[in-house]
Amino acid sequence: MFERVKRGDDTIEAPEASRPESDKSFGSLRSKVTGRSSEVAVIGSSIQINGDLRGDEDLRIEGNVSGTVELKNSVLTIGKEGKVKAGVYAKSIAVDGETKGDLYATDRVSVHVNARVQGNIIAPKVSIEEGAHFKGSIEMDPAAVEKALGKTTAGIVDKTVSQHKPGKTLDSKAAPKKTAKDADTNVNPPAKTA
Amino acid sequence: MAVSLRRARPGAPPNAPVAFHAPLFQELVTGLDETERHVVLDLGSASTPMLALLGRSRTRVEIADLAHFGGIDRLNTAEPGAALASAAESLLPIPLPDNAFDLVFCWDLPNYLTLSALSALMNAIGHRARPGALAHALIFYSERDMCEHPGRFVPTADGELINYNPRHASIAAPRYSPEDLGKSMGRFVLDRARLLSTGMQEFLFRL
Repeated sequence: MFERVKRGDDTIEAPEASRPESDKSFGSLRSKVTGRSSEVAVIGSSIQINGDLRGDEDLRIEGNVSGTVELKNSVLTIGKEGKVKAGVYAKSIAVDGETKGDLYATDRVSVHVNARVQGNIIAPKVSIEEGAHFKGSIEMDPAAVEKALGKTTAGIVDKTVSQHKPGKTLDSKAAPKKTAKDADTNVNPPAKTA
Repeated sequence: MAVSLRRARPGAPPNAPVAFHAPLFQELVTGLDETERHVVLDLGSASTPMLALLGRSRTRVEIADLAHFGGIDRLNTAEPGAALASAAESLLPIPLPDNAFDLVFCWDLPNYLTLSALSALMNAIGHRARPGALAHALIFYSERDMCEHPGRFVPTADGELINYNPRHASIAAPRYSPEDLGKSMGRFVLDRARLLSTGMQEFLFRL
């Protein structure tokens, strides 16, 4: 079902300029993988999946996926052809295509130019490029982000949350003061517990 | 076309959009109490610089993006009365406990709405906002024309604004007066106004 694209010491990475935008934004993460090959699974543009998708490797979606996507320790890229109607949980999420549903990432969510995202974003770092279309909420209260992500990383995902309409997600209890220092992209400072 | 002529960025092309000072906006975003949680409703498009600015405090941002998700047409074409009120409600996020809006950024969107559509929208927002909530808006005032589509306003790090709206055709600006707006902002009442170098009037309304 999945096409595999090999990356690593035995392959030549595409030059930065010729790679897709979504690859560039995660280039630093991939460059840390040394001494062994890493693979990215690809769901091709003719593939349609209805149901829950779980895994522990990087994934690129160019097809249609409905349901839930859980790649808690991996990078998910929704390519330009990709259409995802699902609650998504991953380490990092990059969107070039279309999504409807909440996006949870323990590291970052990047919404690239021409992407169309409807849903809520819960992640310590969020970037939305000029030309991207986004409708939904972005939680920047560190305590609320931590609480939401804590639930997902502990595997206590409330499935109803992923099916909420845009704007309907997080709890909003009071929390200790946190400030964002990296104002360019890190809109959500990493949450810390006292 | 309302584009500021001041302070072009070094090295920017001659026609590149330039930053303009909007004192009420600047006061709003720089004055957010970092210890308090804020819920912000942004009727415009999301941008990383705006999120970064708001992210200095504990903020939840609701992005409605009326221009790109059909909200303007839906409001302007709905039948007055229940249908219009329902259309306005449908454009707002589902209400959650303890998530009433503290701040509303309307940008230049009121210029693209009929007064009855604006009234319905602000009424719906007013029901979801905290007492004392503020609404910020930019109204074409001295310019007779405006861009065909609403602007895409992105703040600089120091709180100035850049309008990245591509220069499409111009249409006549409604040039709403403060009196017009005062009657069309629901329960929000005029707090302050400033005339900007762009020819726009900057308004702050308070619930």
